[in-house]
Amino acid sequence: MSHWASFVADLLDQLPLILTGLYQTLLLAAIVSVTGLALGIVVLHLEGSHRRLVRVIVRGYISFFVGTPLLVLLFLMYYGLPRIGLVMTPFAVALIGFTLNVAAYNAAYLGTARNALDPAELEAARAQGFSERQVFFLIMLPQVLRMSIPALTNQVILNLKDTSIAFLIQYTEFFARMQELAATNFQFFKAYAVTAAVYLALVSIIVLVARVVEKRFLLPGSYTPS
Amino acid sequence: MALLEVRDLVKRFGETTILNGVNLRVQKGEVKVVMGRSGSGKSTLLRCINRLEEPTSGSIRLHDREVTGPSVDIRALRRSVGFVFQQFALYRHLSVLDNVTLALRHLGGLRRNEAEEKARHELARVDMTEHRHKFPAELSGGQKQRVALARALAMDPDVVFFDEPTSALDPLMCREVAILINRLFVDGVTVLCVTHDLTLARLISDRVIFLDRGRVCAEDAIENLSSGHADPRVQEFFGQEASGR
Repeated sequence: MSHWASFVADLLDQLPLILTGLYQTLLLAAIVSVTGLALGIVVLHLEGSHRRLVRVIVRGYISFFVGTPLLVLLFLMYYGLPRIGLVMTPFAVALIGFTLNVAAYNAAYLGTARNALDPAELEAARAQGFSERQVFFLIMLPQVLRMSIPALTNQVILNLKDTSIAFLIQYTEFFARMQELAATNFQFFKAYAVTAAVYLALVSIIVLVARVVEKRFLLPGSYTPS
Repeated sequence: MALLEVRDLVKRFGETTILNGVNLRVQKGEVKVVMGRSGSGKSTLLRCINRLEEPTSGSIRLHDREVTGPSVDIRALRRSVGFVFQQFALYRHLSVLDNVTLALRHLGGLRRNEAEEKARHELARVDMTEHRHKFPAELSGGQKQRVALARALAMDPDVVFFDEPTSALDPLMCREVAILINRLFVDGVTVLCVTHDLTLARLISDRVIFLDRGRVCAEDAIENLSSGHADPRVQEFFGQEASGR
C-alpha cells in the first residue's frame, strides 16, 4: 500500500509535466488526424488523374509510406536530414512524418471506398454537365468519406497510440513524461499501467464519438449491424 | 430544321464497330423512339450525342450547331441534354429534393431557395412532391425513375434522352412510364428514347427507328414495322418482341 502511496505522491508531484505531455500527445494526434485526412483526400483526388505519370507517382507514394515503418521515417528525418543541413524541431518532424504516413493509409482506405461507388452515379453527374472536380467534391467525396468512417476512426485511434513513438525523437509527449515518472521511483509496472489506462480511456472516447458520427452520417440504405 | 440531326455517325471501340454510319433527325417537340436488339448500338448512340463517348466520325448538330470536335463546350452541351439512365443513377447520399437541386445550384447558379422552388415544380410534374425528403434507397424503382426525370428536366434541357426506361422496372410499370413520356410530349418536351420494349414504343411514338448492328435499317410507323416488314431483321425483331409479350 505504501508503494502505491509513494507512487501517487510522485505522480501528483509530476502532474503538471504529465498533463503538459498529455496535451502534446492530444495536440499531435489531433493535428495529424486532420492533416493526414486532408492530404489523403488530395492523394485520392490525384489518384483519379487522367495523367498516367501522376497516378504512378501517387501509387508509389502510397506503397512507400504504407510499406515503411513510421519510426524509420521519423529517424530518417530527425537524425538523417541534419546531415544534409536540414534541421527540424521534434514537433515538426513528428507532424510531417505522421502526416505523410497517415495520409497514405487514409488514401488507401478512401480508395477502397471509392471502388465501391456506383460508377453510374459519377457518369450521371458528368452527363449533367458537372466538371471532374465537381464530380469529385459533390458526388464522390461525400459518399467515400461516409463509407470510410470506421476505417478513418481506426486511423485516428492508431494516430493517438502511435504518438507514443515520438518520444524517440525527443518529442516530450505523454508517454515520455510517464517514462520519466517511472524512472524517478522505479515503479515501472504502476507507471505503465496508468499510461495504458489513460490511452484506453482516450481511445474509448474516440470510439464513442465515432459511433455518434457514423450514425449521423450513415449513407441511407447502408447495412447497419444491429 | 431539325432540333437534333445526326449524320453518318461512326463509333468504334478498337476493332469493333458499334455505330456504322447512323443518320437520325429529331424535330422539336417530337418523341422519337430508337429500337433494336441488345448490342445494336442504341445506348452508344445516346452516349455519343452528349459526348459521354467520343464519336469516331460523323456529324451531330443540335440547334443547327455542330457538337462534335475538340472546340465544343462539352459541359454546356450536356447541360442542354437531359439524360435518364437505365438504372436511374440517383445520388444516394442526397435526398430527392437535393438530387434535383444539385445541378440547379452548382451549374445553374441558383440560390438554394430558388433551386428548391424550381425543384418542387419539377417534382410536382412527376408526382413526387410528397417524397421530396426521402433518399433514393427509400424509393421504389418507378419512383426513382420519376426523380431521375425531374432531375433531367430541372435544367430545362433542349432534349431528354431515355436509355431503356423500362428495363429496370417490372412489366406493369411500362404504362406509367408511357404516361410520363406522353405528358412530356404534351408539354412540348423533345424526347429521344432508346428501348427494346415494343409495348412502350407503341404507347409513346408513332414512328420508330430500327437500329441493327450500328445502322438504321428502317424508320417507319410502328404498325408497319411490326406487321410484315420487307427487311427480315425487322421482321425477326418485331416478331420476337411481340411474341415475348
